[in-house]
Parts: sequence; structure tokens; C-alpha cells
Amino acid sequence: MEVLERLLNISLVIATIRTTAPILLVALGGSFTTKAGIFNIGLEGQMLVGAFFAVIGTIATGSPWLGVLCGVAAALTLALIFALLVVSFKANEVVVGLALNILAGGLTVSLMKAIFGTRGSIFGHGLVGLPALKLPNVKDLGWFGQMISGYTPLVYAAFILVPVLILFYNRSRLGLYIRVVGEKPEAAEALGISITRIRYISSLLCGLLAGLAGAHLALGYTTMFTENMSSGRGFMAVAILIFSNGDPLKILLGCLLFGFSDALSLRLQTLGISSYLVLAVPYLVALIGLFALSYRSRPRLIQETLASMGRVLSVKSNTIKPATATDASKP
Amino acid sequence: MSVTPATPLAIELKSITKRFGAFVANEDVNLAVESGKIHAIIGENGAGKTTLMNVLFGLLQPDEGEIWIDGEKKSLPNPAAAIAAGIGMVHQHFKLVPSLTVAENVFLGMEIRKGGLIDHAAQIKKTAELSKQFGLQVDPNERVGLLSVGIEQRIEILKVLVRGARIIILDEPTAVLTPQESRELFQTLRGFVAQGMTVIFISHHLEEVMEVSDTVSVLRLGKNVASRPTAELTKSDLVQLMVGRLVSFDRLPRTPTIGKTVLEVEDLWCRDERQLQALRGVSFGVKAGEIVGIAGVAGNGQTELAEVLSGLRPSSHGSLKLNGRTITGLSARDIRAAGVGHVPGDRLVRGVDRNASISMNLLMGRQDQSPWSTHGIINRRYLLEQTQALIKRFDIRTRGPESPAKSLSGGNIQKIVLAREFTGSADCLLIDQPTRGVDIGAQEQIHGEIMRQRDAGKAILLISVQLDELIRLADRILVMFGGTIMGEISGDRVDEEEIGMLMAGVVPEPRPNQVGAA
Amino acid sequence: MMSDRFDSLLGQGLAILFALGLGALVILTVDESPMKVLVTLLNGAFGSPERIAGTLLQTTPILICGIAACISFRGGLFNIGIEGQLFMGGFWATWVGFSFNLPPILHMLLAMSAAVIAGMAWIAIPAFFRARYKTNEVVSTILANYVAVLITSYLTINIFKRSGGQSETPPIFESAYLPELFSFSRLNWGLIIGLALAIGVYLFFTRTSRGYAVTEMGANPKFAEYGGIDIRKQVFLVLIASGAVGGLAGGVEALGVHHRFMEGFAPGFGFDGVIAALLANGNPIGTIFTALFFGALRSGSLLLEVDTTASREIITVIQALIILAVSAQITIRRKASDSTAGERRWKF
Repeated sequence: MEVLERLLNISLVIATIRTTAPILLVALGGSFTTKAGIFNIGLEGQMLVGAFFAVIGTIATGSPWLGVLCGVAAALTLALIFALLVVSFKANEVVVGLALNILAGGLTVSLMKAIFGTRGSIFGHGLVGLPALKLPNVKDLGWFGQMISGYTPLVYAAFILVPVLILFYNRSRLGLYIRVVGEKPEAAEALGISITRIRYISSLLCGLLAGLAGAHLALGYTTMFTENMSSGRGFMAVAILIFSNGDPLKILLGCLLFGFSDALSLRLQTLGISSYLVLAVPYLVALIGLFALSYRSRPRLIQETLASMGRVLSVKSNTIKPATATDASKP
Repeated sequence: MSVTPATPLAIELKSITKRFGAFVANEDVNLAVESGKIHAIIGENGAGKTTLMNVLFGLLQPDEGEIWIDGEKKSLPNPAAAIAAGIGMVHQHFKLVPSLTVAENVFLGMEIRKGGLIDHAAQIKKTAELSKQFGLQVDPNERVGLLSVGIEQRIEILKVLVRGARIIILDEPTAVLTPQESRELFQTLRGFVAQGMTVIFISHHLEEVMEVSDTVSVLRLGKNVASRPTAELTKSDLVQLMVGRLVSFDRLPRTPTIGKTVLEVEDLWCRDERQLQALRGVSFGVKAGEIVGIAGVAGNGQTELAEVLSGLRPSSHGSLKLNGRTITGLSARDIRAAGVGHVPGDRLVRGVDRNASISMNLLMGRQDQSPWSTHGIINRRYLLEQTQALIKRFDIRTRGPESPAKSLSGGNIQKIVLAREFTGSADCLLIDQPTRGVDIGAQEQIHGEIMRQRDAGKAILLISVQLDELIRLADRILVMFGGTIMGEISGDRVDEEEIGMLMAGVVPEPRPNQVGAA
Repeated sequence: MMSDRFDSLLGQGLAILFALGLGALVILTVDESPMKVLVTLLNGAFGSPERIAGTLLQTTPILICGIAACISFRGGLFNIGIEGQLFMGGFWATWVGFSFNLPPILHMLLAMSAAVIAGMAWIAIPAFFRARYKTNEVVSTILANYVAVLITSYLTINIFKRSGGQSETPPIFESAYLPELFSFSRLNWGLIIGLALAIGVYLFFTRTSRGYAVTEMGANPKFAEYGGIDIRKQVFLVLIASGAVGGLAGGVEALGVHHRFMEGFAPGFGFDGVIAALLANGNPIGTIFTALFFGALRSGSLLLEVDTTASREIITVIQALIILAVSAQITIRRKASDSTAGERRWKF
């Protein structure tokens, strides 16, 4: 019991919220491309350049907010290259996404060495993080106040974006068109909606949020840049996107699961479990989620089949027993 | 066109000609559609109905001729212009988004917005109003993915109505509907004309046309051969007009060589992708040295029949026997091994790998058999020799055995498929649309090759939507309609009227020696 | 035909030149002279027999990983988890190498088999779910990479750590060594294995009936299905074979080069292999050359870090730029995804 108490308490919830935010931001970004029917494996790279240039921008200008802008601009550049090659030149999205990830990895390390003459990490150099927001009057709310106050702004942004995106997909014309383009391109075409334009817009919106996710990683979640600091969060986001099908609410649930497993595994470390095994937990959760949900989708497929069969049968009840209904079903 | 009605004609097409390369899809077509009437356009597959309607809807530009709408000459460069002129088209293939609601689909592309956001409540209200006004029962809140085909069609019609169409074109609307759904649709269409709208109804089902239309135009080989009030016509008149005179003497000469039964199909049932019943208890047999033709309008279960027989689609009920051995439920591989060759209808999708060479295409299905390979190693010399021999024998026009299939014409690609499927050890051949999209010269060769296979004692099931092809080749013709076999006709005594009736789903007066499946 | 091929080669060549130009720009932005970088790279890669051997030493794992990638590409599948299979293969080969004391050749063969089996085992679950439930193999194999790296690190540091400091396993017995080719370099039989494998895989795909079946599944799964090929079984086997070769790459690194397993055992060889295979458009013979190209870049970059201010990751940037520049011409597609009747079309 004591172990459980040490593991499960309010600070675990806070830790979960903290660890959820970066992956939530990048996954919500990926929801745009997923909904538009693009498989975007390049999230990882966009997040990484977002983090790196957020740090560079902050050091250069002294303002973390201008740093965030730089990070977003860098991620948008990668997103634009992605859209150009995949949408306009019809290149394979997996190939382009992987190449952009590799580019991001190489570029950040090269530039780090060129600018700072070091490898590994950047910190100091006047690097300041985003300020934590202390919500007013939260003291009166007790533990709940403790839970919701004191995060950096992009944490709030991540969670606020969930309802915003739900609204976006359901109530805005652009959101609707993105869904139509992904789900039934021929319908979009028939209505004169430009598939190319919508896919470009989705890719760029994705880059925007992936850039914010990276900036948050470097200026909110930590205040530094390290080599490959996105450490697979972009890929985990892709796994979440596959089983959430890009729906913001399901993305939130998926990301909370990761945030929780991440936070929990950090605690497990304090219990003396090897850090290597502990660090593997989020990846394993992603994999198990991916496999379990694709396994589960089979019964759903069967259910759908049965449902549609039932529909047909209810219209034509005389075909329920094939063997005996031959004559009856002839017109 | 001789009469000048008091109100202007809803649509008048004058001398429309549309060519695709050398092929003339519509030739000098005149069509007058009166306002407030249901005007049926009927014709066989490939008669030019869809092309004509695409011209009218601005999807295709005519090479010659004029389009007049409500007494005004119009040019329709795109569908938007047609919609602006009050024309709406309900396509054969629906373009609905499954995860959206009925109302969202209806208003897609012309959303009602309030303060920048889509006003769902207003869209739902309007959809409900329209649905009530025109008797198209739908629940505006439901997700389209959960609805039946009949309701999907209603949504497509609502989409057209919400855009203000006064003239509605329906392209083969009943092809996907159950009889009940069709009846409801006809009810709706009558409601439309009662409210002063005009309906153009494309079909090849005689009964429906007789039932629902006020006027009929018959297209044959791209020409309008007749436009008359429906009341003045009988079904057999229509068949005559649709099919024209059949040149029955075109039948290829043959000697009776029919042997024992090779393929036996009993009470076969299966479903299509949409989970609709595609086959409903099909039974027949094919004997060695016999060509059994399957006639019917496309989409009446023929393709599914070929797929089930070749092991590519599971059957839900019934049994298949080959040479007395049950082959029900076997995989495509095992059915092939048991001795079934298959010339697929969608040859570019299933029949070949377009990027692979001719020799690699000829290898498919026999790559594990000696002498094509020994101990898993492909016998390249044998393959090359065989390829060269087959290129010669089947007269495949190509630069060489290593040319990719895609560099060949449609007819020559089909010859690759025939060369592969006809030279194996199969006792039974399933041949689906052997000459679709194939030029005349290659057609002759393909027909000759099929006859040679027959004379060599193969049991052949020949599926074709081209009646003349069946009459030329088949010893017996089974007519399919709605997933069942409507009747059987002997190949040398084809009565075009009878076959047309069967294809349209009408059972003719029973004649003692011709009714029932084998 | 010939002119088609020439056009595509020309296009490819122009694209690579364009990428190199971009690379030069990147080098300029990090304050180095592109010419100096190029000369240093060439010097580092080919400047002496030792350096040439060093280049070939870097080429070997890239080549073997590239062949692993070619196998999956040929079947219309993307195994991006070669890095993970390499780590697993490397670790378990090492484990056999230091845990048992066996006669020379036998020991090496046994350790190599362990590497192959580890590679196969590591891809087995993604392969099974891909074959049976169409679970996206790109994501599952990528995520498995991270797990593989962490698990092998755990095994190395927490379980099998060599007594006395270093974060590495005990060295393997000499009986498990992959013999070296020359006295002046660690270059070993792995290169020969890689070359033989490239030729073997090429012949498999072009000359055998099984290879033909895989090729057609990758090119047109509906055609393959119609011809009686069991798509599910084939998908599984192709991925397993690809994983086996990925594991073998790890075995070669462990038994031929490092003779032990440590953290950061073989950084990025798996990904380099994937890129080399992509650049060769999935052709194993072509992969020999692209792997050599990337091996030279890697080997040259070692000197680059010593002689210039540029970091060796600059070559990663150049590799990525090349792939991006030719990406529109890479004809490899994940075709096996849209196959099999009655199953829902794959969504991503």
C-alpha cells in the first residue's frame, strides 16, 4: 500500500499533465494530416527543428516568445517541403517523412556544433524558458487549484486545443473540408473543393502545432536543447493517430495514457527499477496500443458486416434463409 | 420535335455528336424532353446514354450540336453551369461522406453558416423541410455510413434539390436498389413531376421504364433510334428497338463434341462488397467441349459469379464441383491447381502486372510448376522459349518477350492473359468479358481462340454483356438478372426478344423445352 | 525503352547534384568552405589503404541493412525497424560469443545464427500483426527500434556488464570472431557476406519462383492474389526474412568489428541502410553502390570532424537532401497494403 501511495498522488497527476502536453500538441498537429488522408511520419522531425530553433531564437532575441515563433517557422518550413513533395510531386509519404526526420536530426546537430561548438546539449547562453502561469485565486480551490495552476502557457494551449479542434472539425467549413478530402476525395472533387489546397493547408497546420510542441519541449517542458530531444514522441503520436483516427478526444485519451505511463515510469525509477526498462515503457505502451486496437478492429469489422447484412435482410426478409428462399426472391 | 408545345421544352438537344478518338459515342442525337414529364432513356450497355447525360451536365463537351434549356440556347462548360441552369444529376456511384450526417452531406459545399461557424440546426431544419416537401424520407441527423443504399440515393437527390434543380437526371438509379426501394423511388419521381419538375431517367430495365416514364427515347450504338410516348409502346417494341436486328448467322461453325460434366454449380449464394446479396441460388453445369454463355446487364451478379468460381470471393452457401470433386471454399491457388483457368473481367487490375514483362506475366500461377521452374529456380530458357512461342501463336503484337505489358494495346494485353490461361492444364475456363475494350481485329482472334479451346474439350463459362459475342460463341446461354438465372436459351435458336426480356428481368411465356436452370 | 531509362538516370543525376548544391549551402551556413569539406571527405574516405578499408568497414553494415530493406520493399512493405533488429542481433551474437566456449568456426556460426534468430524474433510480432490485421508496419517497427535500443542497453549495463568500469559486455571469445581480411584493418568477412547476400537476394528475386511471387505481390497484389499467391503468409515471411538480415547485420558488427556489445553499438546503420536501399530503388545490386557511397561519407566524416569545424552529422543532412531530391522518382510503394479481397482497404 505504501508503494502505491508513493506512486499515486496529486503530484503524479501534475506530472502526467506535464508529460502529456508535448505529445498532445504534436498529435493534435498530426490530426490535421491524418484527417486529410496523409500519413505523416515526419512529425518527429518537425518537432525536433521546432525545439532547436525555439532555443536559437530565444538565445538570439532574449525573448522566449520570439523563440517560439522561430521554432514554429522552422517546423513550418519542413511541413512545406513535405507538402510540396508529397502533394505536388506525389512522392511516397513514408520516404519523404523519414528523410525529413533524418534531415532534422542531422541539421540540428550540425548547427549546434557550428554555433556553439558543442555536441549533446545547449543550455545557458542566456536561454530563458517560458514563464509558468500562476492562475489567480487557485488557492481557494485546494488540490484542484494545485493541479491546474503553475504550468507554462503551451501546456494550457495543448489542452485548450482539444475542444477547439473538436469545434473546428465539426463546425468550421475548413475542418469539414479537411475531413471530406481525407475520407472521400471523390466527393470533394465533385463539389469543386481543391484537394491539393486542403492537403497543403493541413500539412502547414500540422507543422504549426508540431513546431509549438517542439518549442514547448525546449522552453516549457525543459529549458534546453538536447540531441534528438523529441526522442520518438513524434512516432508515438503517429501510433496514437492511427488508433484514434485523428479524433481530438481520442487523441487526448491516448496522450493521457502516454503521459501517465511516462510519469509513472519516472516514479518507478525512484523505486530502483532500471532506467532503461522504465524509459521503454511509453514505447511499449504505444506498441501494445497499436496492436491491441488493430486486433480489436476486427470484431468491429465483423459487427459492421453483420449490421449491414441485417439491414439488407430487414428490407428483404425473404432472403434470410438462402436455401429455401430461391424462388421467393425471384421477381 | 415536330410538335411545338405551348410551354418551351425543358431540354432540347440538337444534333449532338461526341467522339472519343475514333469512337463515336453519340452521333447526331436529337432529344426533346418536355417539361413536367418523366422521360426515360433506354439502351444497352455502351449505347451512349451516360455520355449523352454527361454532355447535358457539362462534364463533357459535345463536338457538335446545341443544348437548349427552357427554350434558351446554353453552353455548359462545366457542371456548375449546368447546376446554374437548373439541371441536377444523380450519379450511379454515390459521392457521400460516410462519417458526416445526412444534413451535412446535403449541404456539403454550400454550408449554411452563422458567425463563421456551420449552423447545423438550420441545415437540419432545411433538410427536414425538403425531405417532407418531396417525400424523401430521411433522418437529417443520422450518419450516412450507417444507412442503406436506398436512403443514400435519397440524400443524393436531396443534394440536387437543395441546389435548386428543376430538371433532374438519374443515371441508372435502380441498379443498386431493391425492388421495394425502386418502387419508392418511382413514387418520389411522380411527386417531382406533379410539382412541375422534369425527370430524365436512364435505365436498361424495361419493366421500370414502362412503369414510370411518360416518354421513352431509345439509344442504340450512339444514336437516338426512337422517341415516343411510353403508352404507345410495348415491351417487345422496346426490346426490338434496343437490340436491333441480331445477325444470328454470325454464329461460328462448330461440331457437337460435348462430353461429361466438368463444372457443377449448385445453389450458389454470395454477397458483394456492400454486403448485398449478389448471387441468389445459382445452379448450372458446364460440360467438356461446351461454351456456356452468361448473358445479362452488367451488375447482375456475373462478376461475382466469376470471382466465386475462381476462389477470389467466398460464397455464403452452395457447392462447386470440378470433375466430381468438391472445390467449394478452396483458395484461389487450390482452385487453379484443381484445373480452373480464369480470364478476369478487370484485366488491368487482376489480369496482369502492367509494369512486368510479357514473360513475367505469362509465368503467374505456374511459377512453382515444372518445367517452368525446377527446385524453385525459374527455368529462364524455357520461359523465354514459351513466351516467344505464345507471342507467335496468340499473335501478340509486341517488340519482344521483355517488353512491359503496359506498352501493349488493350487487345494484346488480353492476348497475354489468354495465352497464360489457355495453355495450362485447366479443364475449365472462366472467361469474363474477353473482348471489352478490344479492337475488332483482336476480337476475331480472341473468339477464334476460345472456339479452339472448346473444340479441344475444355469446359468454358463465358460471361459477357455483349449479346452478339455470346450468340457467336456459346452453345447455351444462361441469362442472369438480380443474381439469379432467369432462363436458358440454346445458342442456335436465339430469340432476341426472349433474351432481351430475360435480361430485363421479365420471365416470358413458358415454353416447355426452354425454362429453368440446368 | 533505353531512352526512358536514360531519362530517369539523368533525372536522378540532376536531383543528386541539386541535393549536393543544397548541401554546399548548408555547409556554408555552418561557416565552412564546401570545397574544403569535399576534399576532406574524399581524403578521409579514400586517402590511404587504411582509409579505404575504413570506408569498406563502414559500408558493410549499411549494405547488409540495405539488403534487409530491399527485401521488404520488394514485397511492397516497409521495414523501418532494421536498427532495432541490428541491435538485437548484435547483442545476442555477443551473448553467444562470451557465454560459451566452443570450437572456432562452430562458435562463430552459432553466434551468427543467434543474431539471425534475434532479428527474426524482433520483427515477428509486427510482422504477424501486419500480415493478419494490417497493422501499420512502419510505425510498429520504428517504435520497436527504441525498445530494442533500451532493452539491449539494460541487458548490457544491468545484467551482463563487464566487471571494471566500461558500459559494455565482456569481450567475446576469439573462437567467435569473424575473420579479418587484412592485417591493417578491422575489415572482415562481413563485407564478403554483404556482397554475397546482395547478389544472392538479387538472384532470388529475379531467378526463383518464390522471389517472383514476392515481386508480384509488391508490384500488383491483386494480380498475385488472382494467381494463387497467399498474400498473408507471404507478407509475414517477407518481413521475417527482412528482420533476419537486419539481425545478421548486428551479428557482423559484433563478431567482426567490436567483439563486444556496448551502448551506442551501431548508431544509425539501420537508417542508413534504409536510405541506401531507397536510393537504389530497392535493387540489391544498386544498394552495393549506394551503401559504398554512404560508407564513404561516413568514413570521410570522421576526418571532417578532426580537420574542419563542421560536424560529421553534416553528411546525414546531405543524405537526407539526396533522398528528398530523388523522392519523387522513387517508385517503391507500399503496395501490399491495398490487397486481399473482402478486407478493408488500408487507411494510411
